[in-house]
Amino acid sequence: MTRKTFLALSLLTLSATLAAIAAEEKVVIQYDCIPNYANWGGVTALYKKVAGVTVPPDPKGSSVALAALEKEKDSPQADTAYYSGAIGFLAAEKGLHEPYKPKGWEKIPAALRDPEGRWWTVHTSAIAFVVNAKALGGAPVPRSWKDLLKPVYKGKIAYDDPTWGGTSFTLVYGVNELFGGSDKNFKPGLDYLKKLDANVSSYPRESVYNSVLRGEIPIWINADGNGYKMKWVDNGPVEVVLPAEGTFTMPLVMGLVKGAPHKEEAKKYLDWLLTREAQAEFAKGYFLPVIPGAMPPEVASHVLSEKEYQRARALDLARMAAASDALKKAWTEQIRGTGR
Amino acid sequence: MTDRRPPTGSSLTGALLSLPLVLFLAAAVAWPLASLAGHALSDPGWRAVRQVLAAGRYRTALVNSLGLSAAAALGSVLLAVAPAWVLARERFPGRNALRTAISLPLTFSGVLVGFLMVVLLGRIGAIPEALAYLTGRRMFEGAAYTVAGLFLAYLYFELPRAVMTLESAFRRFPRELDSAARALGAGPLQRLLKVGLPLAAPALRSTLAVTFSASMGSFGVALILSRRFTVAPLEIYTEMTGFLNDEVAGALALMLALSTLAVDRLLSVGKR
Repeated sequence: MTRKTFLALSLLTLSATLAAIAAEEKVVIQYDCIPNYANWGGVTALYKKVAGVTVPPDPKGSSVALAALEKEKDSPQADTAYYSGAIGFLAAEKGLHEPYKPKGWEKIPAALRDPEGRWWTVHTSAIAFVVNAKALGGAPVPRSWKDLLKPVYKGKIAYDDPTWGGTSFTLVYGVNELFGGSDKNFKPGLDYLKKLDANVSSYPRESVYNSVLRGEIPIWINADGNGYKMKWVDNGPVEVVLPAEGTFTMPLVMGLVKGAPHKEEAKKYLDWLLTREAQAEFAKGYFLPVIPGAMPPEVASHVLSEKEYQRARALDLARMAAASDALKKAWTEQIRGTGR
Repeated sequence: MTDRRPPTGSSLTGALLSLPLVLFLAAAVAWPLASLAGHALSDPGWRAVRQVLAAGRYRTALVNSLGLSAAAALGSVLLAVAPAWVLARERFPGRNALRTAISLPLTFSGVLVGFLMVVLLGRIGAIPEALAYLTGRRMFEGAAYTVAGLFLAYLYFELPRAVMTLESAFRRFPRELDSAARALGAGPLQRLLKVGLPLAAPALRSTLAVTFSASMGSFGVALILSRRFTVAPLEIYTEMTGFLNDEVAGALALMLALSTLAVDRLLSVGKR
């Protein structure tokens, strides 16, 4: 290839790319759109196929998404955001969302949506132990919160930093309630997590889905759906355990950002997310559809029985939201420690 | 005596040519720094700054950052002297390939360096797995998440910077001085102490400054590896994203910048 041809070819590629970018005007920006979480990768790819609209991936956790929206209040960059329940509730309380009732709204159970449309649930999940059984080094699969404290699990447990992700905030809040604490008294939960700290290898502030699959993290306390996906989609040696003492459900919610730059496109996208088509696609990532009847039967056959799920209790989003700053602060001080 | 032409008339051209950089710096450095200082000092009575400097997590983070960055700077400069000297003064086949290999980590982002460390020294890292295979005992499991792991990762990404900076300084050393000292009967040790080190001192100091500053600002490595031991950039991130606390984040950033500048300043004392 002569230098001239090479130059011409490069220019051609460059202009083609630029043309593609220019033609690609249909975009919806969603904060917290992690491809490996709740099958957002599959859902956004499907939307691109059916509507021709691009929803790019976004690595922010719920809390970071909330922080970004608050910072950009005066010139919003995002159209919509996805959060674990309490953080989305908080975003709505802070006036970052514009009321919108997407099509299919009335099919969402009343407890899982704001009456004014400032937030609504797109799917639900439960906190579970996601266990890479092969990486346990011969230790048995833990069955209860109490089991996790045993010395055989030293260095084998991780849960996300609750100041980073809403899933983990749900976990920390829920554990506190489970052990007798409340939105005013964090001691029971923090006492438990302090004991658990002896077995924890890290408190990640990034997606560790692949680390769990590889076995770097044998026990990840996170959303059940992520574990099911590891097992059934990525064929990992993974077991999902709902702890014996009980666990917590977590609605995953969305809202329309106030002043969204692509508002009309965003509304169409949010409508579509409640269709059976989109809901079934979420279910492929093993997050339970919020629209009744949208669960594909083969997915239903892969998850734990309803009887097991009776141990999962719902948490009060309003109280959780109100306690969020204080609990996150207390967790940072007492569990992450002094920083030394 | 060579003839040196006075730089008449060139100063205006120089100023004009520097204008884009000056404008860029004003927009990308001065403005954000001013806004940062604004955030940090906006609380009455400099509350955020006093909070950061009071005993506790924030101050620990600053002290940790200073200690870790100083250790990484010293370590990388010590390790870099010999390879930099060889690259600068010796000719051998594969020299360019070696230089490329050494400078490769410069292109890695901090997060990537963190993951590399996990792959090497994580709970199922290559090193513990290999040692377990060879000795039958599990060793260094999860070392990546300790302070030692963090230090190794910092060393890893500072080394190429140190080698590159030192090499270009060593290239400029006049060989004649060394030859002259030898001709006058100085032994190797004497030549190193009386000729080599005085010549190298400024280069060593500026290399220390460069690596130290880069470590102070590094974020990605600690984001991936830090479990308990914290550094200032990590605390800034948590304050901003986890707690929306602009004031403390700003004060921390300001202190980080000031302490970095102070150390750099100290290192350049006596340098012309």
